[in-house]
Amino acid sequence: MNFLNAALLAGTFALAIPIIIHLFHKSRFKVVKWGAMHLLEAVLRTNQRRVKIEQWILLAIRCLIPVMLALAMARPIWKGAAMLLGDAKTSTVVLLDNSYSMDAGRAGTTNFSIARDETQRVVNGLQRGSEVFVAMMGQGGRGLIDSPTYDISRVTQALAKSSAGFGTAKIPSALDFAATTLEKMHESTRQVVLLTDFQRISFEATEDKLLGSAIERLKALPVPPSITLWDVGQEVKENVAVESLDFSRLMIGVGQKIQIRANLRNYGGANHPDLRVTLKVDGKDKSASQVNLGPQSKGQVLFTVAFDSPGSHVVEVATEPDALAADNIFLASIPVRDRVPVLLVDGAPGTTPDDIKSETGYLQIALSPFMAGRVEQSDLIQARVIPLETLNAKELGESAVVVLANTRKLGDDQLKALEDFVKNGGGLLIFPGDKTDASWWNAAFSKLAPLRLGAIAGDLKEGAPSMGVVSQRFENPALEIFNDPRNGSLSEAAIKVWFKMLVPEKSGGPLDPVVLARLDSGDPFLAERTFGEGRIIACATAVDADWSNLPARPSYLPLVQRLCVYLASNVYPPRNLEIGQQLVSFLPADAAGKKAMLTGPDGIAVELPVVKKDARGVVEFGPVFTPGLYTLMPPVGLPLHYVFNADRKESDIGKLSEAEIASLAKAHGIPVVHTFAEYQQTEHKQRFGTEMWKWALWALLALIFLELILQRMFASARGKIGAHVKPQPAMSAR
Amino acid sequence: MSHVSDFLKPSDLQRISNLQVLARQVVEGFTTGLHRSPHKGLSVEFKQHRPYVPGDEIKRIDWRVFARSDRYYIREYEEETNLRSTIILDRSGSMAYGGETPGAVSKFDYATRLAACLSYLMLQQADGAGLVTFDTKIRRYIPPRSRVSHLRVIIEELENGKPGGETELGSVLHDLVPKLQRRGLLVIISDCFGEVSEFLKALAHFRHAHHEIVVFQVLHPDELDFPFKGWTQFDCMERDGVKHLLDPALLRQSYLANLAKFRDELTRGCRRHKVDVVPFTTDQPYAHALAAYLSRRLARG
Repeated sequence: MNFLNAALLAGTFALAIPIIIHLFHKSRFKVVKWGAMHLLEAVLRTNQRRVKIEQWILLAIRCLIPVMLALAMARPIWKGAAMLLGDAKTSTVVLLDNSYSMDAGRAGTTNFSIARDETQRVVNGLQRGSEVFVAMMGQGGRGLIDSPTYDISRVTQALAKSSAGFGTAKIPSALDFAATTLEKMHESTRQVVLLTDFQRISFEATEDKLLGSAIERLKALPVPPSITLWDVGQEVKENVAVESLDFSRLMIGVGQKIQIRANLRNYGGANHPDLRVTLKVDGKDKSASQVNLGPQSKGQVLFTVAFDSPGSHVVEVATEPDALAADNIFLASIPVRDRVPVLLVDGAPGTTPDDIKSETGYLQIALSPFMAGRVEQSDLIQARVIPLETLNAKELGESAVVVLANTRKLGDDQLKALEDFVKNGGGLLIFPGDKTDASWWNAAFSKLAPLRLGAIAGDLKEGAPSMGVVSQRFENPALEIFNDPRNGSLSEAAIKVWFKMLVPEKSGGPLDPVVLARLDSGDPFLAERTFGEGRIIACATAVDADWSNLPARPSYLPLVQRLCVYLASNVYPPRNLEIGQQLVSFLPADAAGKKAMLTGPDGIAVELPVVKKDARGVVEFGPVFTPGLYTLMPPVGLPLHYVFNADRKESDIGKLSEAEIASLAKAHGIPVVHTFAEYQQTEHKQRFGTEMWKWALWALLALIFLELILQRMFASARGKIGAHVKPQPAMSAR
Repeated sequence: MSHVSDFLKPSDLQRISNLQVLARQVVEGFTTGLHRSPHKGLSVEFKQHRPYVPGDEIKRIDWRVFARSDRYYIREYEEETNLRSTIILDRSGSMAYGGETPGAVSKFDYATRLAACLSYLMLQQADGAGLVTFDTKIRRYIPPRSRVSHLRVIIEELENGKPGGETELGSVLHDLVPKLQRRGLLVIISDCFGEVSEFLKALAHFRHAHHEIVVFQVLHPDELDFPFKGWTQFDCMERDGVKHLLDPALLRQSYLANLAKFRDELTRGCRRHKVDVVPFTTDQPYAHALAAYLSRRLARG
C-alpha cells in the first residue's frame, strides 16, 4: 500500500475525535433523581452487556469514519508485491510487430506506422534514466538496437528508420527473446509492451500454447516484468497475395521455355473478376494476364518464358496493389545454364575415347546426343569422360555432376575430394558393374553410398529370367516423367544381372536413403540419399548394355538425362531464400581476397569480402530481414541474384475478434490496451498499483450509513419520541 | 356551566397553596353543570332550595316556590349516607419525582391535591372521608368522618406531609387492613412502584374485607416516555447511594417495554380483584380524578 498524499494520513488521528466526544459526554452527564428505579434496574440487568457492546460498536464505527476520510484523501495505492518501488526507473522491452501484415492499413497510415508512433510515445513517456530496448518481432525478435540502452535518442533514431514487411510475427519466440534481454537489464521495475495487430494466424492453437509457456517464462524471471499487449490493428480484410511460384523445369538452359505457374489467393470477401497479374523478367515487363478470383479462393496464372542469355535471372509476378502491399509481388531467382558439365568417370574404358563399348559409351551419347551426332544444336548437358586415375579435386570443381561407372576403388584423396564435392552441393550418380568391389563399397565408400551392396543377382545366360522395373507412381522429380506412359516406361527394360542393394532398418531420420524405384524381384533399382548439401543416386545395375538391355530402350535417354539434371539442379548455395536466412555465395577460388558488391532492395550497395574456404571463395551476408532482390556482383563474372521472400502465412490478415483477444488476455492474465491512454492507465496500475481512494470513499459512505442504521436499531429513541401510547384518560370504562 | 378551574392545568393551580381553597375551586367547578346532580339523594330530609340552572332535572323544580315567587328553585335534600371513603396516600420517595424543570408539579404534589379535592368532594356530598398516609409504614391514620369540619383535619395532614423513604406497598397495605374495621371505599393514590404481586395480595386482602377499591396510579410523563438524552446519572429516590450512569437513549426501548409489562401486570391483576386502576399523569386536570371517583361512587349506589 502506497499513498500519493501521505501527509494527509495524519488525518487518521481524527479517530481520536469520536473518542474524545464519547469521553466528554460521559463526563458531562446530568443527574436525575429517579423514582421508577425498579423498572430501570430490571432493564439494566438484562441489557447492560448488550448496551455496552453496542456502544463499543458504535464508537468503533464513529472512529473509523474520520480514518476512512483521511485514507481516501491520502489516495492510497494498492500494488501487491511491488508496492515499495514507487515511481522507480524501469527496464522496458518494447516488442514491435513488424511482420508484413503490419504493412496493411487504411487512409495512408499502416498499422506499423501507428505502432511505431505509439512505441515512440511509450519510450518518451518513460521515467528519466530508464533502460529501454526495442525488438522487432518480424523474425521472432531482433533488436532494433544492438543492446538495451539508456539513451532514448538512439531508440528514436532507430525507430524513425524502421519499417514493416519482415516475415512472420512469432510472438512466443519474441517473448522468449524479451525474457533473455530482460535478464541482462538492470532496473528493478520491468515491463514488456508488445504491439501487434493480433493477426489470427499468429495466435493459432500451437502458437497459443507456445505463447503460454513464453509468458510463464517471463513470469518466472527473478524480477518478473509487467506484460501489456497492445492492439494496434485496424482490421483490413481485403487482401490478394501471390503465394508461390512453381516452375515446370528443374533446370533451364538458354532458349529453353519454362512455364511459371503463379499461385494466387484471395483472403478477402470481395470478388476480383479481372485481376491483372503481370510478369517481369529482370525488371522488364514481359507478360500480363487476368484471372478471376472469387472470395476466399485460390487461382493460378501460367506464364511461359524463355531466357536468351545464361546466368542469373529474376522473375517477378505482381498483382494489383491492395491494402497489404508486401505480398502482391513474388520474386524468384532463376539460374539459366548454358551447359551442365557432367564428369563421367569410366572404370572400364574402351580402346578409343569414343568407343561405344566402353562403360560410359552409351551414357555419353545419351547425355549429349547432339554433340555425339555432330549436330549444330547445343546440348544442355556436356559430358566429359575421364578414366578413374585422373579423377581429382580440380576435375570435380569444373563439374556439376559426377557419374561413377563401374569403378573399382577410389584412392583416399579421390574419395576425400569426392566427399567435399558432394558435401558442397555436387551431384553423384553411381552405376556398379563387374569391377565394383562390394567390400570396399560397404566399407570406405559407405559414407557416400546410399545403400550397402549385397551379392550379385541374376544370370547372363541365355534364357535366364530378367527383371523389369516395377511400374509405379514416382515421386522423385527425376522420375516424374515416367508417370506419363507417353514418355516411355522403365518396365520395358530387361535387367539380367544386378546388385542386391540392402535396405537398412529405417531410422526415421531425414537422412535415410530413399528407394526411388524397385525391380520386379523387390530389390531396389534406384536409391537416393543426401550428403551435406549434395545428392547421391545409386543404380543397382550397370550403365552399359553388359547386364541389361536398358541402353537400348527409349526410356534410357530421358532416365539418365533426368537423373543428371536432377542432381545438377541442386543450386547450392540456394538463391531463393526466406527472410532470416543467410545469403551465401560460392565463387571461384581465385576471387578470394577480393571484394564483391551486394546491392539490396533499398538500392544501397555494400562491399563484402570474398573469403577463401575449402578451395573456393565464399561471400556471406546476413541473416537478411528485408525481403526483396539482392544482387551480388562478384569480382569476376556475371551478377548473381538472391531473392528473399517473406513467409506468405502473414497474408491472411484476418484479425482475432475483440472477444477472442479478451479471452486470450484473460487466459494468460495479461491486459490488452488499444490506445496510449489505456496503456498509461494499465501501466500505471501495474507499476503503481490501483488507486484505492474511491473504495475508501465508498467505505466511508457505507460506514456513515451503517452508523445511522445501527444507531437507530440500537436505540430507536429519537425516531419514536411521542409515538408512545399516551396514558389512557382517567375516566375508566366502567 | 363550566368553571374556571376546568381550564387550569395542575401547574397553574399549583399556585393556589391553600389546599382547601383549591379543593373547593376544583370540586365546585367540577360539579356545577353536571347533568346529574351529586346531591340528588332521594329519601332524606329537605336541606335547602337553590336556583335552577339549565341542566337540572325539570322534575326536581319546586313548583310551589315557582307559584309563590315566579322563580325556579330546586329542592335539595340532605342525604344520609353510610359511604365511608378512605384515601390512602403514598408518601414514598419515588412520589417526589417532578421532572427536570424546577418547581414543576411532582407526583406527590399532584397526589396531595388530588386527595384534598377528593376529601372535599366526599365531605361535600356528606360521605365519610378518611386519610391514611404511609411511606415505609403507616404515618397517619385519620378515620373517616362525614362532618364538614373533618376536612380541616385532613387538609392539615396533607399540607404537612413530605415524601421520603422506601415504599413496600404490599406490606404497608396489609398492615392497614385491621385498622379499617368498617367496609367502605378505599382510594389508593400511589405510583404503585414496587413488587406487583405483593401489591395485588394486599388488594386481595382488602377485597376480602369487603372494601371497594379504586387505585389512582399517578405517574409522571417522564416515566412514561423516558425522554432523556445524553449521558445521565439516575439517582434512586428511595435508597440512598444507588445510582446508575448510562446513555438512556440506548435503553429507552427496553425501558418502555418493561414499563408496559409492569402496567399490564398491574392492570390485569387489579381487574382480577375487581379493582379499578385509573392512570394519571401529573399534567392531567384533577377533574378527571373526580369524575373517576364519582363514577365509582355511583356504581356503588
